[in-house]
Amino acid sequence: MINNSNSSNSDPVRAGLPARPWPGLLPTSKSFGNFGDANCMEQLLVHCANAIQSNDATLAQQILWVLNNIAPPDGDSNQRLTCAFLRALVARAAKTGTCKILATTAARYCYNNNLLPLSTHRFSAIELATFVDLTPWHRFGFTAANAAILDSIEGYSSVHLVDLTSTHCMQIPTLIDAVASRFESPPLIKLTVAAPTDSSLRPPVLDLSYEELGSKLVNFARSRNVAMEFRVIPSTHSDGFSTLIDHLRIHHLLYPEATPPAAEALVINCHMMLHYIEDESTAIIASPSPRDAFLKSIRSLEPTIVVVVDEDVELTAGNLVCRLRSAFNYFWIPFDAVDAFLPAAGSKQRQWYEAEVCWRIENVIAQEGMQRVERAEGKARWVQRMRNAAFREAAFGEDCVAEVRGMLGEHAAGWGLKKEEEDQLVLTWKGHNVVFATAWVPA
Amino acid sequence: MVPYETAAAAPPIPIGNPPASSSSSSSNTIIPKPPEIDGLLAGAGYKVRSSDLRHVAQRLERLETAMLNSPSQQLSLLASDAVLYNPSDLSTWVDSLLSELNQSQSLPSLPSDLSDLMSNPTALDGSWMDQQLPPPTAAVHNQQPPQLTVVTAVEEDSGIRLVHMLMTCAEYVQRGELALAGSLIQDMQSLLTRVNTGCGIGKVAGYFIDALGRRVFAAGGGGGVPGGSAYENEILYHHFYEACPYLKFAHFTANQAILEAFDGHDCVHVVDFNLMHGLQWPALIQALALRPGGPPLLRLTGIGPPSPDGRDSLREIGLRLAELARSVNVRFAFRGVAAARLEDVKPWMLQVNPKEAVAVNSIMQLHKLLGPGSPGDPARPAPIDAVLGWIRSLNPKIMTVVEQESNHNQPAFLDRFTESLYYYSTMFDSLDACALQPEKALAEMYIQREICNVVSCEGSARLERHEPLANWRERLTRAGFRPLHLGSNAFKQASMLLTLFSAEGYCVEENEGCLTLGWHSRPLIAASAWHAVAETAVGAVSDVPVVGGVVL
Repeated sequence: MINNSNSSNSDPVRAGLPARPWPGLLPTSKSFGNFGDANCMEQLLVHCANAIQSNDATLAQQILWVLNNIAPPDGDSNQRLTCAFLRALVARAAKTGTCKILATTAARYCYNNNLLPLSTHRFSAIELATFVDLTPWHRFGFTAANAAILDSIEGYSSVHLVDLTSTHCMQIPTLIDAVASRFESPPLIKLTVAAPTDSSLRPPVLDLSYEELGSKLVNFARSRNVAMEFRVIPSTHSDGFSTLIDHLRIHHLLYPEATPPAAEALVINCHMMLHYIEDESTAIIASPSPRDAFLKSIRSLEPTIVVVVDEDVELTAGNLVCRLRSAFNYFWIPFDAVDAFLPAAGSKQRQWYEAEVCWRIENVIAQEGMQRVERAEGKARWVQRMRNAAFREAAFGEDCVAEVRGMLGEHAAGWGLKKEEEDQLVLTWKGHNVVFATAWVPA
Repeated sequence: MVPYETAAAAPPIPIGNPPASSSSSSSNTIIPKPPEIDGLLAGAGYKVRSSDLRHVAQRLERLETAMLNSPSQQLSLLASDAVLYNPSDLSTWVDSLLSELNQSQSLPSLPSDLSDLMSNPTALDGSWMDQQLPPPTAAVHNQQPPQLTVVTAVEEDSGIRLVHMLMTCAEYVQRGELALAGSLIQDMQSLLTRVNTGCGIGKVAGYFIDALGRRVFAAGGGGGVPGGSAYENEILYHHFYEACPYLKFAHFTANQAILEAFDGHDCVHVVDFNLMHGLQWPALIQALALRPGGPPLLRLTGIGPPSPDGRDSLREIGLRLAELARSVNVRFAFRGVAAARLEDVKPWMLQVNPKEAVAVNSIMQLHKLLGPGSPGDPARPAPIDAVLGWIRSLNPKIMTVVEQESNHNQPAFLDRFTESLYYYSTMFDSLDACALQPEKALAEMYIQREICNVVSCEGSARLERHEPLANWRERLTRAGFRPLHLGSNAFKQASMLLTLFSAEGYCVEENEGCLTLGWHSRPLIAASAWHAVAETAVGAVSDVPVVGGVVL
């Protein structure tokens, strides 16, 4: 909101001057406390983004100067959040408009200012397992999905489990445990995963190969008396996992006796991976959109159950400022939550945690085109897509809900559980939607 | 043009060789001087001995004449076939000319002079010179033009010639030989028409020639700055602000120091020695608004020239800033102090409260106080000392000083002229690299006014008395101030913001706790911060003026 003084508009002499009004900010009420400041910071970030977009170097410089002073990387959660966005805007400015320097300068700036290096940590399997369990961010989806999957594979002697998760199969050990304890003679689990082939090194990054990971999982399963096979298909979101889909189709053609609804269940577990598939805003071909195409392909395999867990935020807008606002009003959650469970500022886990969030924020703000992979689109739109692809929702049983609540009880008090529209579970932080979990069967 | 015959009368030996080994048959010898390389041209990359300059200049004149007389199709051929002649060792070239001259033992023939260019291994391709030119006669213009492929060199050489003429003219001015200066100015003006004045040395030379002209031809000596209303001044200032980073650097460096100095203080007062449009202050207000612990009560006193048309422009700016402060919940009060000159400001006008932390902000203002001051009472302290004295009496938490990093206040006119030629050439170079129109053209006019003031004004009219950081350090220390190091935050911010938003070539450097912004390692602006040391209580007057209890 530009706050032009009225006197300049009415004065014909002054009107000729290049106007340099400071963009007006909404007056903030002190009664909002922290939120008032956060509101201010958001508006400053928005104005800065606008300034960068319109090549207004002077205003961008001024706002960056202010942000630099009010958002230290080691401040409170609002300041750290703003700092992450500041870093992302600097990275963006380094690529666009009047700037001529390389991204190395932005990196040097971050280094000089003791900002977290964004070079990502490589996790060992144990490290990642512990890390992922620190908050319900992933555990929520794991727990809900596992419960739904267990219900759906009742009676099958073999389960083909396709695991599409951003956390490198960290859901599987708990599932294996649950299978082992629930079934007297557990089914054979054929685990198929899509291994990333892109070099984007989206965190968290695994320090071991998928083959090694797979063998660990198989060993673990064996120790629980669950027979398990492990297959890695090199396939990524960039082509809508088409390689994976092809593999699945071939598999069903080759082994017709295993085609559902016979002895083998087909379980597709999508955990925060689908939002990396191109959506309509990047797809070159207008229709069918890659996301819809993927869901249609999955549907054509007649799966026993499809679980869709993803983040309830809209980050697909082409307009930078819209995206910034959405992202700011979502990513405050991890910064706020981390204070509750990892208060030690220097801890490595906290660094990894915040580095991951910073990576994602930078991806949303500073990247465009194919490089911008963080394109979450919120629960409502995924639900619509699934329905359009001829799926219908499967309810989460009461046991499942109880289990999720029990899991949440192990974490900070701010986490909560909501049921929306009967069949959708939503993880909340201080009442704000964070992650949704849905289960689907062919309609 | 002085024909070269005079040299023939006493054929010179190649300078640098002892007289005994001269190849000349003449008994007249020139006492060899130590080979002093001309400093001005050295700065431009040409190595020429000072003693050779006159010869070189004349050669270039002839070359240029020859070029002008060449038929147009040859000229266009030249333009497309331009080979860049590397004249970095002009003295060798001249030496070869001179030795050729000795061997011919007659009136120096221009063709042989020029044909020696072919022997310069660093320079040419062999197809350069086919024709021998006829020896020069009084009518120099009858020469057949050589086939030249040296378009760029001639252009550059005209630039060198301009610089030399400028220096010579400045010397005439210093010696009071205004008639000579005047005629040289006219020569330069005509040379200007044949030089590219759109950029580079042509453009800068143009401004300096203009300024010299004002000085020499203006009635009553001391030509004024090109007249302009206060409104015009504001427009030019604004475009200078936008076009290049100098003022922006000044603002955010000073703001960083002020913000840090105000840490922990609840009542703060900024005194701005030149409010202009208050461009410096929105960012500081915003940063204070969101500082941890909440914003202080902020008072801003803006000093500026009185508005000519009865408008209270200071107050208008103050109102805008107040509105901004209100929108971000900063308690704010503004006071405008209208004064034609900084020395007219008295401390009581600022109404400083003893309990508040005071920041005095001077962006390119202090140097205006280095003039002679008002005539009359010789016992009165110099303006700069008077002002520094009352600043000190305010006991400011910080004083931020930004000044041009150059000495344009030397007593000798030629020294001032030379230094400002270097300084503004560099500044114009930097402007060429970055700016868009129309900001660039108006920014240049802003700089032009400074040039005019430095070159063509004297006495109390000469306000642009820039002095370098070293001088200011000394002066401020003598006046009882101690330096405050601009912290690493200021340096990082300046570096980051400049690399992101300005052309490559600008560099921020740290200089004993001060920051400078320069172009390609020539600092052009220096920012420093100071605070007053406590006065020893030896019969001392109280530091802090008792202001009439103004409380907000």
